[in-house]
Amino acid sequence: MARIDLKSLGAAAKAERERLAQYKGMLMVCAGTGCVSAKAFNIRDGLNDALKKHKLDRDYLVVATGCNGFCGQGPIMVVQPQGIFYQKLKEKDVEEIVESHLIGGTPVEKYLYKDISSDAVIPQMDDIPFFSKQKLIALRNKGLVDPESIDSYFEREGYSALAKALEKMQPQQILDEVKRSGLRGRGGGGFPAGVKWESCIEAVGKTEKKPVLVCNADEGDPGAFMDRSIIETDPHTVLEGMCLGALAIGADEGYIYIRKEYPLALTRLEKALAQARERGLLGNGILGTEFNFDITIHRGAGAFVCGESTALMASMEGRVGEPRTKYIHNVESGYKERPTVLNNVESWANIPVIIDKGGEWFAGIGTGDVSKNPWNGSSGTKVFSLVGNINNTGLVEVPMGISLREIIFDVGGGIPNGREFKAVQTGGPSGGCLPASLLDEPVDFDTLTKAGSMMGSGGMIVMDDRTCMVDVARYFIEFLKDESCGKCTPCREGNTTLHEILTRITEGKGTQADLSALADIAGVMAEGSLCQLGATACNPVLSTLRYFRDEYEAHVNDKRCPGGVCKDLITYTIIDKCTGCLLCKKKCPTEAVSGAKKELHVIDQEKCIQCGICMDVCKDDAVRVE
Amino acid sequence: MISIKINNDTFEVKPGTILLDAARKNKIPIPTLCDHEALTADGNCRLCLTEVTVNGKSKLVTACNYPIREPLQASTKSERVIAFRKNLLTMMLSRWPNVPMIREYAEMYGASEPAYQHPQRNEDKNACILCTRCVRACNEITWEEIIGFAGRGATRRVAMPFDEQYDRCIGCATCAAVCPTGALQVYDEANKPVDAKRISRFGLRLASELATMDHEQCGMRRYGTTNLVGIMDAYDLLPTHNYKFGGHAEAKNLYKEVWGTLFKPHTPDGCWAGCIMSCAHGIDDFELKSGPYKGDKVLVDGPEYETVGGCGSNIGVFDPHIVVELNFYCDTYGIDTISFGTALAFAMECYENGILDKEKTGGLDLSFGQGDNALEILHQMARGEGFGVVVGQGIRKMKQIFAEKYGADPVFMQDIGMECKGLEYSEYVSKESLAQQGGFAMAQKGPQHDEAWLIFMDMVNKQIPTFEDKAEALYYFPMFRTWFGLMGLCKLPWNDIEPADNAQTDEPHKVPKHVEGYINYYSSVTGNEITHENDILNQSAKVYNFQRVFNIRMGFGTREYDRGPYRAMGPVTDEEYESRAERYDEQLKELVGVDPTKLGTAEKKAALRKYREEQYEGLMDAVYKRRGWTENGIPTLETLKRLGIDFPWVVDVVKPHL
Repeated sequence: MARIDLKSLGAAAKAERERLAQYKGMLMVCAGTGCVSAKAFNIRDGLNDALKKHKLDRDYLVVATGCNGFCGQGPIMVVQPQGIFYQKLKEKDVEEIVESHLIGGTPVEKYLYKDISSDAVIPQMDDIPFFSKQKLIALRNKGLVDPESIDSYFEREGYSALAKALEKMQPQQILDEVKRSGLRGRGGGGFPAGVKWESCIEAVGKTEKKPVLVCNADEGDPGAFMDRSIIETDPHTVLEGMCLGALAIGADEGYIYIRKEYPLALTRLEKALAQARERGLLGNGILGTEFNFDITIHRGAGAFVCGESTALMASMEGRVGEPRTKYIHNVESGYKERPTVLNNVESWANIPVIIDKGGEWFAGIGTGDVSKNPWNGSSGTKVFSLVGNINNTGLVEVPMGISLREIIFDVGGGIPNGREFKAVQTGGPSGGCLPASLLDEPVDFDTLTKAGSMMGSGGMIVMDDRTCMVDVARYFIEFLKDESCGKCTPCREGNTTLHEILTRITEGKGTQADLSALADIAGVMAEGSLCQLGATACNPVLSTLRYFRDEYEAHVNDKRCPGGVCKDLITYTIIDKCTGCLLCKKKCPTEAVSGAKKELHVIDQEKCIQCGICMDVCKDDAVRVE
Repeated sequence: MISIKINNDTFEVKPGTILLDAARKNKIPIPTLCDHEALTADGNCRLCLTEVTVNGKSKLVTACNYPIREPLQASTKSERVIAFRKNLLTMMLSRWPNVPMIREYAEMYGASEPAYQHPQRNEDKNACILCTRCVRACNEITWEEIIGFAGRGATRRVAMPFDEQYDRCIGCATCAAVCPTGALQVYDEANKPVDAKRISRFGLRLASELATMDHEQCGMRRYGTTNLVGIMDAYDLLPTHNYKFGGHAEAKNLYKEVWGTLFKPHTPDGCWAGCIMSCAHGIDDFELKSGPYKGDKVLVDGPEYETVGGCGSNIGVFDPHIVVELNFYCDTYGIDTISFGTALAFAMECYENGILDKEKTGGLDLSFGQGDNALEILHQMARGEGFGVVVGQGIRKMKQIFAEKYGADPVFMQDIGMECKGLEYSEYVSKESLAQQGGFAMAQKGPQHDEAWLIFMDMVNKQIPTFEDKAEALYYFPMFRTWFGLMGLCKLPWNDIEPADNAQTDEPHKVPKHVEGYINYYSSVTGNEITHENDILNQSAKVYNFQRVFNIRMGFGTREYDRGPYRAMGPVTDEEYESRAERYDEQLKELVGVDPTKLGTAEKKAALRKYREEQYEGLMDAVYKRRGWTENGIPTLETLKRLGIDFPWVVDVVKPHL
């Protein structure tokens, strides 16, 4: 394929547009990791076969897109340009859709989305509440581009921000736009990107060393998949963002540190890099100018701590991925002691839009006035992965400042099975758990931190009333204990000791002294850990102690688990609603349930292991936990 | 300077000063566990956390690696700091309740009880507290990276790769030396030395000197022996243009700073695994410009100082890349860089004097500085072709060939041909050190400095002014240095790193503390207790005299063979004399008693030569006497008897000369 230069970029976009215009419509099959694991590729192939069979393959184009975002409803297919949203598809459903919808003009209702409360069918994607409250910047191309085609990105005005910068902007102007935007690091730290870049430029002047750009794609929070999805959906936006960053700080070398566990993202990234090089968007003489920049992929081996900037760079240098103290910042001396700018995937993905639409436009979204001081608010949008006890599981991008309630109840559709909301955990494992009383707080960097949690990279886990907050704290501390590199004392010994105490409390062996010990240990970790992993690892404990102390007290004083989770503190009983259906008896792994058909069943407490299967399978709501 | 306040006192510090250093300098105590003076601060134990207030914002920082870059107020004992340390020590104590170092600090900060139940509780008082000192020592001091951490979080532990015995570890015990709890101990059982602990004790002393002081002394770990180039150039000792001069304006291109940029840093390149000096360095990815491997990128082992002298300044080459390429091809062809350099330097001087010309060299311009032609000669030498064959036979043969074939003046060639006993000189100018002239020319194997290197003692420090002093040095050092060869030890750690208080000892040139170390090594390895340096000298004397007898048998062991060429003793040519005229004139006046102002250069040269040659003869007399040899340099029967080597077949060799 021909190399693109400043003049021919528009023509390439036009050519792709004209190619697509030949089709009557496009079938956008979600091929994010979630849908792929639910056999989305079979659906894509099935559609192609069906189209061929009905001789429609010249009228409709099947496109495997990146993540659509509504992961809980996958596999998903959207018929464009009408935007008809099909969900939970199986391969066998394809034929029916082609016949009824594409040939007959009638969408197949049973595969369309139904409103949670009213059960009304909502055929158009944009009308579904999950989508309608979102504002897309980083994910602007989700479901609309083929992540494996650079032409598809051209068609969506891709690389036009880079062209604009190369044609009309000085490096300083790029920096100024980023500073004006108030963009704060989406990896969790919330450090203003413009300030970081500017310090790096200063350090380059002082040290006369060549700067390096790094994209952090080592997303390791359980339940979080923002960065993975961005790469899987729209890899070129990350590359374009990095090119702009390189132009601003004068770098010709960039790296993407991506975890090995993201095979699909990795493949798409490799394809994107190859295409970008082939078409003259990376390498020497980018877009026919004198700008040289290339990107190398560095695969991480999957240690959570390698998401920490200094550990990440140690890992890139071939050393053990352990952090160092950051009294000398990476922008001064980072990768191989060179001035290094590290931003995460989502931050980079925002850059092209900021350059395209201007920093001011970006700053107009979100909270606070960041025009003079980037710390004065949180501008732009944030991508969250919304998981847990929530109806609409998936990836959402919302403006900063939106309330937790809007995200959880409007976008997320609330709590399933009519249960009560108890807490939302933000910021990944070392974030905090926030209670219902804070649901109306705005979601921005500073509010979340003040509330004892953090923005983190955007994990959001919703918990209902059948959650034990002590157990939740124990779960996250267990994760962090295993992921702590063990280099510094507070994190290594703190997580170990916290875990020991929390385990004891969930076993009903805790004491009041344990509760103050938890606070003491957490204090040492927060104040004295070497890196942010350790310093924030205590958040799950501190936030649950702060907002759900009554649950701790119940475990310690009354040997009771209010959430009904801690096995040593609960008993399952069957009440007289039982119709004697034998289902729980069949499913019980320890044969603890007895009783004849159509008679009240009884649980033998000696044999019961509190697994809760009886409760899960009971159709008559006859199993109680106390 | 930056003004800082620690607790209530104000100090001025240089920007970049580490907070802990500033505090220690002013006797303000800050507790530390993982810190060690010989190691890079790691900041992992967190005990040294100190409250620092900058611009009204206060935070806890690790004093051990916090660089002071702006005015600040530090508090080492604020409530916040004390509370933090108490809680931190409680956590440590809960895991390691009996480690004395932790107990001590814990008591100091009121954390008396191991308050938490710790799943990895370890009651051992020698427990490993994961301070990483040993791992850092293995990486930073020995550059071996043999031990590291396995496991993560609470399962972190010191280990060798894959938890297997890594055979690169030779038990240098540096790790054990820095371990604060005694968790890591090294015993050498493989070699069954008589007293392994005693060996460790003296080994550690040396290891720690190397790790902490080398960068301020010779810089062997960074630059190897190339650190000498600049020093030799400064003292007029760097052989230049076949030893005519002792320095050159362009010699800066061959200084250690240049090699520092070319050497691959921190490559463990000791002669044996575990050598902390690791003075051998290498250049990676060096692209060759000539010869059979032209265009290849190779790893070059070196260069050493002597290679820089021989393949550099002595042949007038000051382009480091030519030096490196000569180094590589000498190594590849199996040719000694010193003999090659000195022999070529002789050929080059002959070329410049008209003894040789292009016709005789096969078209090669062999003026000093012709680096590419030097390479061509080397390739010819290896291929057995052209003029390379002539140079390859060495100076002694070249002198013969040039006289016979080209009618060159044998006397002049004898004066400038830097060989003795058939071996080319190594790369130091010995003109101004009578003792070193003897050190070279009287050496048994030929003019090599590994028997004695006395230039500084003699010329700079003037520690051995009389014939007897010099003779004593030419007894002591050849015997002492021979002993290293007998033991299979390297000489460099003996005096290329010196204890901090070495200058205050009675005989700093002997490095008494290191001699003590060697006495102890010998005793504890063999169980044969020796107690005095004389024991060492006596062991060597037998061998040394035996070497002399061997030389006698081979026809090189008499006085005439202990005389070097005059180039090693003084200025041969007018050009040489005039280049250092001030020095020589003064010597004529002060030492010879001749007024130089009334003489021409040739006469002054002759007068100086007469004086110097007489001095040398006097030195030989004194040295032979000290060694128990006759005036002709033959060990007397008495000497042989005293040393217990008066075997009949030995006596048979010396007798005809007595």
